[in-house]
Amino acid sequence: MIFRTPKQVGEWVNRTKKINFTFEGEEFSAFEGDTISSALWAAGQKVLGRSFKYHRARGVLSLANHDVNVLVTDGIDTNIRADVVEVKQGMVLTAVNTSGGVKKDKNSYIDSISPLLPVGFYYKAFHTPRRLFPFWESVIRKAAGLGIVNFDYPRILKRKTHSHCDVLVVGAGPTGLTAACTAAEAGLEVTIVDENRQLGGSLGYNRAGDSSVVTELDSLMSKVASLPNIKVMTGAYAAGYYPDHLIPIVSEAGINKVRAKSVIVASGAFEQPPVFRYNDLPGVMLGSAAQRLLYRYAVKPFNNGIVVTANDYGYRVALDLFQAGTKIVALVDMRPTGSTAYAAALAKRGVKVYTGHCVYEAIASSDKSGVRGAIICAYDEKQSIALTDTKFTLECDGIAMSAGWAPAGALLYQAGTGMQFDYGVEQFVPSRLPNGMFAAGKVNGIFELEQRLRDGVRAANDVIRHLGGQAPQNDVEKHVGISPSHAYPMVPHPKGKNFVDFDEDIQIKDFVNAAKEGFDNIELMKRFTTVGMGPSQGKHSNMNAIRILARIRGLPVEKIGTTTSRPFFHPTPIGHLGGRGFHSHRLTSLHDWHQANGAVFTDIGAWKRAAYYPAAGQSKEDAIQTEALAVRKTAGIIDGSSFGKIEIHGPDAALFLERFFTGVYTDQKVGSCRYVMLLDETGVVVDDGIASRLADDLFYLSIGTSNAAAVYREMQRSQQMWQLNIGLVNVTGAFGAINIAGPAAREILSTLTDLDLSYESFPMSSVRESHVAGVETRMIRVAFVADNGYELHAPMGQIPHLWNALIEAGKKHALRPFGSDTQRLLRLEMGHAMPGVDTDGLTNPFEIGADWAIKMDKPYFIGQRSLTILAKRPLRKQLVPFVLAENYKGEMPMDCNLVVDGRDILGRVTSISYSKYLDRCIGFAYVTPARKEVGSVFQIRADSGALVAATVVKSPFIKTLKGA
Amino acid sequence: MKLLTCPMNGTRPLSEFVFGGEYRQAPDQDTCTDAQWAAFVHNRSGAPGDKKEWWYHSPSGTWFIAERNTLTDKVTSTYLLGQKDTTQEAGK
Amino acid sequence: MPLRLLKFALSKEHPAPRFFKSHETPKKSYDVVIIGGGGHGLAAAYYLAKDHGITNVCVLEKGYIGGGNTGRNTTIVRSNYLTPEGVNFYDASVKIYEGLSEELDLNLFYSTRGHFTLAHTESAMRTMRWRAEVNKHVGVESRVVGPDEIAKACPQLDLSCSGQAPILGALFHAPGSVARHDGVAWGYARGADRLGAEIYQNTEVLGIDVKNGKVCGVKTNKGYIETKQVLSAVAGFTPRITEMVDLETPIVIHPLQACVTEPMKPWLNTILVSGSLHVYVSQSSRGELVMGSSLDPYEVHSTRSTLDFVEGLTSHMLDMFPFLSNVKVVRQWAGMADMTPDFAPIMGKTPIEGFYLDAGWGTWGFKATPISGKTMAQTIANDSAPDLIHSFRLSRFEDYELTGEKGAASVGH
Repeated sequence: MIFRTPKQVGEWVNRTKKINFTFEGEEFSAFEGDTISSALWAAGQKVLGRSFKYHRARGVLSLANHDVNVLVTDGIDTNIRADVVEVKQGMVLTAVNTSGGVKKDKNSYIDSISPLLPVGFYYKAFHTPRRLFPFWESVIRKAAGLGIVNFDYPRILKRKTHSHCDVLVVGAGPTGLTAACTAAEAGLEVTIVDENRQLGGSLGYNRAGDSSVVTELDSLMSKVASLPNIKVMTGAYAAGYYPDHLIPIVSEAGINKVRAKSVIVASGAFEQPPVFRYNDLPGVMLGSAAQRLLYRYAVKPFNNGIVVTANDYGYRVALDLFQAGTKIVALVDMRPTGSTAYAAALAKRGVKVYTGHCVYEAIASSDKSGVRGAIICAYDEKQSIALTDTKFTLECDGIAMSAGWAPAGALLYQAGTGMQFDYGVEQFVPSRLPNGMFAAGKVNGIFELEQRLRDGVRAANDVIRHLGGQAPQNDVEKHVGISPSHAYPMVPHPKGKNFVDFDEDIQIKDFVNAAKEGFDNIELMKRFTTVGMGPSQGKHSNMNAIRILARIRGLPVEKIGTTTSRPFFHPTPIGHLGGRGFHSHRLTSLHDWHQANGAVFTDIGAWKRAAYYPAAGQSKEDAIQTEALAVRKTAGIIDGSSFGKIEIHGPDAALFLERFFTGVYTDQKVGSCRYVMLLDETGVVVDDGIASRLADDLFYLSIGTSNAAAVYREMQRSQQMWQLNIGLVNVTGAFGAINIAGPAAREILSTLTDLDLSYESFPMSSVRESHVAGVETRMIRVAFVADNGYELHAPMGQIPHLWNALIEAGKKHALRPFGSDTQRLLRLEMGHAMPGVDTDGLTNPFEIGADWAIKMDKPYFIGQRSLTILAKRPLRKQLVPFVLAENYKGEMPMDCNLVVDGRDILGRVTSISYSKYLDRCIGFAYVTPARKEVGSVFQIRADSGALVAATVVKSPFIKTLKGA
Repeated sequence: MKLLTCPMNGTRPLSEFVFGGEYRQAPDQDTCTDAQWAAFVHNRSGAPGDKKEWWYHSPSGTWFIAERNTLTDKVTSTYLLGQKDTTQEAGK
Repeated sequence: MPLRLLKFALSKEHPAPRFFKSHETPKKSYDVVIIGGGGHGLAAAYYLAKDHGITNVCVLEKGYIGGGNTGRNTTIVRSNYLTPEGVNFYDASVKIYEGLSEELDLNLFYSTRGHFTLAHTESAMRTMRWRAEVNKHVGVESRVVGPDEIAKACPQLDLSCSGQAPILGALFHAPGSVARHDGVAWGYARGADRLGAEIYQNTEVLGIDVKNGKVCGVKTNKGYIETKQVLSAVAGFTPRITEMVDLETPIVIHPLQACVTEPMKPWLNTILVSGSLHVYVSQSSRGELVMGSSLDPYEVHSTRSTLDFVEGLTSHMLDMFPFLSNVKVVRQWAGMADMTPDFAPIMGKTPIEGFYLDAGWGTWGFKATPISGKTMAQTIANDSAPDLIHSFRLSRFEDYELTGEKGAASVGH
C-alpha cells in the first residue's frame, strides 16, 4: 500500500481490519472500507480497466460512479463498479472486456487502428457484399459488450418496501443536510438519501488543505442525529422521478419506493473533465476524484503531480494534494487571470502557477500504463486553442483536472423542470420547478459553501410553506464572481485522443465530423456519436458535448438544449426492479381434491382448472375420451367453480338484462333459465351464459370463466349510465359450482335431495333452490355438456362437502370426475360454439348462426344498432359444424388449420376432436357462406400440407350422428 | 406510480384503476344514419386535450368520471357520473 | 477490415459529406408535402423520387429526423402476422429490408436472428398455429416448434419460466430480424435528399388548408406552403394532424415503453417474445438487452416513463432468465403509439382530396417502414392506393370491415 497516507481526519477506511484479495491474478491487501479502486490505487496499481471501443488502459477518473473506466468481475457477478463498491475479503477480481488481461489486453491493437474507425464507422462499412455482413456482425458483437454474463448467477428476490414522507431530500451534502435539519425542526417528516455510504458530500473532501472544515460536517451530522424525524438512507440512490413524487430509492437491500409530499433536489454536480489529448491515461483524474481518494481512503493520488484547472476548484485540489505530501509540479490554469482567491496560498507553498496555459497533451509512460509528463502550452482562451509554439514539457506521474461542473439534475429533468443556462455559473439551472419540487445547492447554481447552507434553509422554508406551514421567504442571491465552470475547457489537438466521453471513447473530432455529416442537433449527435449512451449516461460527458456542438454551430449553449433525462440515475439491477415477482392465481375450493386425484391443471383466465384426470400411464387423449364416455354412458362431475356468477337484484333486473344482453328477459318465468349473449357496441360477440330467474327481482347469471371480471365491470358501467333500480353482486368467488351430467346424474342427485327431480316438475332450462346433501343449492338444468345435466351452485366453502357427497353417492353409478378439456369435447359433441374459442375479436352473431339469440325488436341492447348495419351486409364467413369421413384414419387436422380452396383461404378450423362416443372426428370451422349448407364438402389443410375433406352437418353432433 | 382520486374511496395508486375510455354520448340510434353510428362506435377524439373519461376503481367496483388532460396527464376532477360538484370547482 | 474505411484513415479532412442538406426556409410551393420526418415520411419521399420521379417534395419535421417512434422502437422486423393481407404486406417490407443496407449504402445492421413467439397456454398455442398456417400459406417461413427447438436456439431460457408459466411451444419465424433504427431514417433521408427532396427539421405544421374538400396548402412555423398533396406520416401525433382537416379516425394515443441494460458480451442470439409474460427482448449489436412490454393501459400524449412498467417487465424477464438478477437497466424510455381498434395501420386516401394518411402504426410501424414508404409513394403518385394496402383503408371502419389482426390477442412486437 505504497500510496497510503497517514491517517486523514474523517477517513472511511478502518485500518484495524486488513483485507486480502486478488486482481488479475495478483494479490493485494486493503483496509476495510476501501473500494476496489482505492485499494488497487493504494497499491500502485494504475491500469484498472480497458475502454469499451479502443481498449485503452484506464484508471480512476471520477471515483464516483460517474464513469465506467473500472468495471470488474468476481467470477460470479459482472460489470461491478470498482470505484464505489467496497472490496471484500477473498475477492478474486479481473477487469471486464479484456483479452488476455488488463495489462496486456490483446485488443488494445484497436487503439492503433482507430483512424480506420471514424465516428459512426459501423454505418459506413461491412454491409457490402451482403453475404459477408453476418461475419462482420459477429466480429463486432464480440468486440462490443462489456462483461460476460454468468448463466449460473442465482435469482435474487429483493423485497420492495414503501415509505412516505413530507419531504424527501436527495443528496446529503451540506445543502441537503441543512435543508433536512431546517425542515425537521419545523416538524416535517424528512427522509434524506445519499448514494455515498457516509453523509457530507463534498464537505467531507473539498478542504483546500484545511481539515478544520470537517468540524462543520460533524456538527451538521450530530444535528441530523438529534432530530428523530429525519430518516437517513445512505448507500442508496434516488433512481428516478415518477409522477406524483414517487421516487424509488435503490440500495443493496432492494428498492424502497418513497412517496413524498415534496422533494428537495440537492444532488450537487458532476465534475466535468477538461478535454485534452490523452486525458484518459491512468493517473489523469478529476480533481474531486483526487480529493476522494485522499480524504475518504487515505490514498495519495500520485507523488509528483500537475493540476490543470479552468476554475478556482483546481487550486483547492492543489492545496489538498500539497497537504498530503504530493509534490505539485505545477498548476496550469487555462484562464488568463488565474485565481485571486487562492494564488497567494499556492505561492506561499512554492507551487508554480501557469496562468493562461493548458495541458496540450499528457505523455504516456513507455508501457502506456500511466503518465510520465505533460506538454504544456500557452492557451488562447478566446479561440480555445493551444499556442503550440510555446510548448514545454513537465514531468509528472499524475494529473488532476478541474474545469467545471454539470448539475446532477436528472430528477429535476424527469419531473419536468424547466432549465435555463446561467452564464454566471456556466451551467443549466432550474427556472421553472414543478409543483412540490425544489432545488438547492450546486444543482441550483449555488456554489459557495456559505451560500449553499443558506440555500438549503431557503429550500426547506419553501417546502414548509408549500405544505401549508409558516416559514420566512429568504431568497438566496445568485452566484457572483468567478464561474465555477469554464465555458469551454477544450484543447484541440491534430492527433485527437482528447476524450469527451470515456464510456464510449468519443473525442472532439468525432463531434466535429458528426456535425459535418449533418448530425448537428444534440439528439442526432447523441445517436450518431453515442455520446452519453454508455452506462454512465453522460454524467461526465453530456455538458462538454453540448459545449462542443454549440461552438460548431456558432450558437449559444442554451440554443443547443439538452438530451432527455430518463431513469435510471445509476444503472439499476433487474433483480431489484423485478422484486419478488408476483403471479396471482385463483384456486377453487376443490383444488386440493383435484390435486390428490391426479388432475392435470390448466390456466383459464386467472384460474387453475383441472383439465383431465389421467390414470397412471394414461395419455391425455385417452383420459379425455374415458371421461367423456362416462358422461355419455353413466355420469360425470366437473368443478365449475371458476364460472363467472353475478346476481342482479331489484325491480328493474329483467330490464337491465334486456338492455345488456341480446335476448328477452322481462317475460321470463321465475324458476326458468335463458341463454344470454353479450355483444360490444360494434356487434362483436363478447361472451355468453345462462340467466336463471330466482324471483321477480332476482336473476342469477352464470357466464364463462375468463371474461367474468370484465363482463361484471361492463355491467357496472352500464348501470352507472342507465341508473335502473337494480343492484349487482359479483358472487364468482362466493359461490362454487358443480356440474353433474349423464344418464345417471338424476338418480345420483336424487339420493341427496328431497326435491322432485322428475322432468315434468324440473324440466330443462329451469332453476330450483333446494338442499343437496344438506347444502342450500341453486340447481340449474342446462344442456351444455349433456342433455341430462345439473349445475349445482352453492357457497364456495360448502362445495367440497357437496362434491364428496356426490362422489360417494355416484360410486355405484361409476360417476367420474372430468376436467375442462373433456368439457370442451362434450360441448362440441353437443354442438355448442364457445366464445373465445370458436369466435375471435371480430366475430358477429350472424357469423356463428346465433340469429336465434338476437331479439332485434327490443328498444335497445348493446350492439343492436351495429347489427342492423351488419345485417345489411353480405356475410363474409360462417361457422359450420363438420365431420370428417367415417373411419377417417389419416392425419388429424388441428385447431387453426386452414380451410383452403387452392390458393384461397376460405376459413379455419376453430375446434376439432375425435369423439370416441360418436366414433367420428367432429368440429367447427369457418367457411365462406357458399359452403355453409349441410352436405357441402370443403378441404382442411393439415399440418403436413395434406388436404382432408370435411362435410358440413347439422348440429348437435350427438343428435345428427347418434340420433340421441 | 401516479395517484388517482376515486370519488368514493379517496386517493389511491393507479394500479387499482382500470381505464374505461372517453366518456361519450351515443347518437340516437333510432334516428342516426349508419355512417353516424359507425363513426360513433369506431372513431375517437384522439387529439390531446381536456377529456371526460371513464375510470373504474377495481377493489370497490366504482365507475366514475375523471376530467383529465391527456397531454399533461393532470386530473382536474373526479366524480360519479351525473354528480359533478360544480360548487367545489368554482371555489378552486 | 473493409477497405472503404481506409479513406477515413488516409484523408486529412473527414471525407464524408452531409447526409442531407440543411435548408433555411421552404419554397412557396411543392408538388407534395410530407408531414413527419420519421422513417415512414422519409421513405415515402425517397420512393416518390426513385419510383415515380416526383422530386418537388418537402419533408417537414417538427423536431429532428427519426426522433419519434423511428428512434424509440425496439427495432424488430418480422412478418409473422395473422391475416394474409398483413403477412403479405409485412413480408414485402422484410424483402426490401433485406437489401436496404446495400440500396441506401448505409449499414443498417440488419441482423436476421430468428424470432420466437413463446406460448405458455393452450390458447396461445392455438394462436401460434393459426399464424403459422397463414404464414405458410402465403410463403413466409413460420412454424410451430416445441420446447426442444426453443432450448436449442436459446439454451439460457428457463423453459418453465421459474415454474410460473411453462413454455409449451412457440411460433418460430426465421426471417425475424433487428436493425439500427436510426440508420433507417438517416439512410432514407440521405437517399431522398440526393434525389432532390428537401428535408426541413424544426419545422412544425400549424394548419392544413382545405378548400372545397381539396388540400391547397400547409401552414408552418416557417411560412405557408402551397401544395395539392399532403401526406401525414406522424404516428404518435396523427390525431393532431387529422384534427386540422376535421377528419375523424379511430386512432387513440397510448405510450409504449422500453428499456435497455448495460452492454454485455453476446449471448442472446434470437429475438424472444412472450405474450403471456408481456416481454420482448433481443440483444443489440452493442451488447445491450433491448426490452419492451405491452402498451400502457391508458391514453397519454407523453413519452414519460413509469416505474410499474419496468418493474413488471423485469420481473417477467427474471422468470425467463433468472441469472439476470444483477444485470443492470441503464435507461427506460417511451414512444407514443397510434392505436387502432384492429391492430392494423390506416393507410391511403381519405375523404379529403389530396390528403393521404400513413397512420395507425401502433407498435408495428418500424418493421413496415420500407413498404409503407413505397406504397404511400405509389398512392400519392397515382392518387390511388395499391391492392397491397387496400385492407388498411380508413373507410374499413365505416364499412365494418376491420382487419382480422384483432384475432391475435397476444402481444407481438
